[in-house]
Amino acid sequence: MAETLRVIDFGPSSPLRSQTLWHAIAYGVSVGAPATLSFTRPAAPYVCLGYHRGLDELDADYCRENGLTILRRMVGGGPVYLDPDQLFFQICLPARAVPTGRSPALRMLLEPVVTAFCAGGVPAVLDDDLEICLGDAKICGHGAGQIEQAVVVCGNLIERFDHLRATGVLALADPDQRDQTLALMRRFVAPAPVDPTVFETAMIGAFAAALGFEAMPGELTRMERTQLHALDEQFTSESWLTGPGARPLVARRRLRARQVKVRARIWTLGATFDGARVAAGVVRGTIDQVRVHDPGLNGSTRQVERALTGIPVDSVGPVLAGFGEPGRRLASAFAAADGGRL
Amino acid sequence: MGDGEWVSVAGFELALDRCYQPDTHMWVLRDEPGRVRIGMDALGIETSGTLAELSFVEVGTELTTGRPFGQLEAAKFVGPLTSPVSGRVLATNHEVAMDPGLAERDPYGAGWLIEAELDKTGGELSGLLAGRDEITAWFAARIADYRLKGVIAE
Repeated sequence: MAETLRVIDFGPSSPLRSQTLWHAIAYGVSVGAPATLSFTRPAAPYVCLGYHRGLDELDADYCRENGLTILRRMVGGGPVYLDPDQLFFQICLPARAVPTGRSPALRMLLEPVVTAFCAGGVPAVLDDDLEICLGDAKICGHGAGQIEQAVVVCGNLIERFDHLRATGVLALADPDQRDQTLALMRRFVAPAPVDPTVFETAMIGAFAAALGFEAMPGELTRMERTQLHALDEQFTSESWLTGPGARPLVARRRLRARQVKVRARIWTLGATFDGARVAAGVVRGTIDQVRVHDPGLNGSTRQVERALTGIPVDSVGPVLAGFGEPGRRLASAFAAADGGRL
Repeated sequence: MGDGEWVSVAGFELALDRCYQPDTHMWVLRDEPGRVRIGMDALGIETSGTLAELSFVEVGTELTTGRPFGQLEAAKFVGPLTSPVSGRVLATNHEVAMDPGLAERDPYGAGWLIEAELDKTGGELSGLLAGRDEITAWFAARIADYRLKGVIAE
């Protein structure tokens, strides 16, 4: 007899519950509840931080002025803007059912999602960076984690995407970096025109087939409901929002350039050094657009920007060496960036 | 690398001067009586993917074998760093928390994760693999298994 894939569609839920519901399921699966595929849609926009990420990555004023709640999840990834135009899905399995190695595990749990997009008429692919893409654009955000003895991958169907707000919530070095981030986000993050009902139905079938399980509607267990209330308290506590994993990283991020990942291999940086300032968009290792400022450039600013555009971001040193002391300061600002781990 | 003897097994470095927890790829190096240093071996690091973040429990926290002493994030996947021993955390490696790449570059040396005082009940390291023959055989078999399953490249 096939194992059960419990399916729960929570429908619209508050920002808090759009996170705590599936975390509660992870605790349940960890102690014996069946593997579960769940869906929900946040009833209001909010911002969500990955487990390790710092509050200083967010523009607190923007979030407050726009009434955006800030929450922290137990899985990975960066700060993201979420709203009712996104259907969330979460697949949760016992850890023993997931392959060793993060890449094989993620691939196994993301391929049925790709199948669901394709069933909805969007020829999505899972690329080498394990991102679900349509052409050059990422069309699905995801994060993953092991919570006790359960592995969970969560993601979203983006029906419409507010690039301006998604950029607005981020703390960035200056307006130049903000412009570059917005431009790259518009180019590399896109909604997918998929009927959510078709998407959901296809995903249930795809996961059931991939796992060899029988999909069955279900609901939270008593333990999960108890856990849900505990998670509601935990996720709204100051200590959790500050971040159990983020505390030591605050100092690290302040030392480095302000960096923002738009999607895998696509990121922006904003950095200063001794009065010099750089903001750059980096596309697959190459500087796609750049703005520099240094009081000593004496009218050669555009010449520096032209020289930097189109070169590998890790080889700016020799180019900037030709611009004397201002060039050395700008090179030092660039050196603060390390996009490889974003 | 640490100061002790090490070998290369099918392309992966393996330090021979310490014990290993075979499921979690954590190594345990006796520092002084009752005190150990803990890290992750090169194969565990490789199968994690590029490390983005490492975080640890606070110094003084009680450790229990099989329970987390921190979290590792790679490929947007957050997972537990599982303790191979019971005891108490004496120190965490601030350098590796600031620069997780250190664990990739020097997993047996500067990339150590925590130091711990062992539980006084004794026998804490008895469930771990030790000795050149035992650990190299385990390591080679695990590499072959991971390659067969496509977890790591040929």
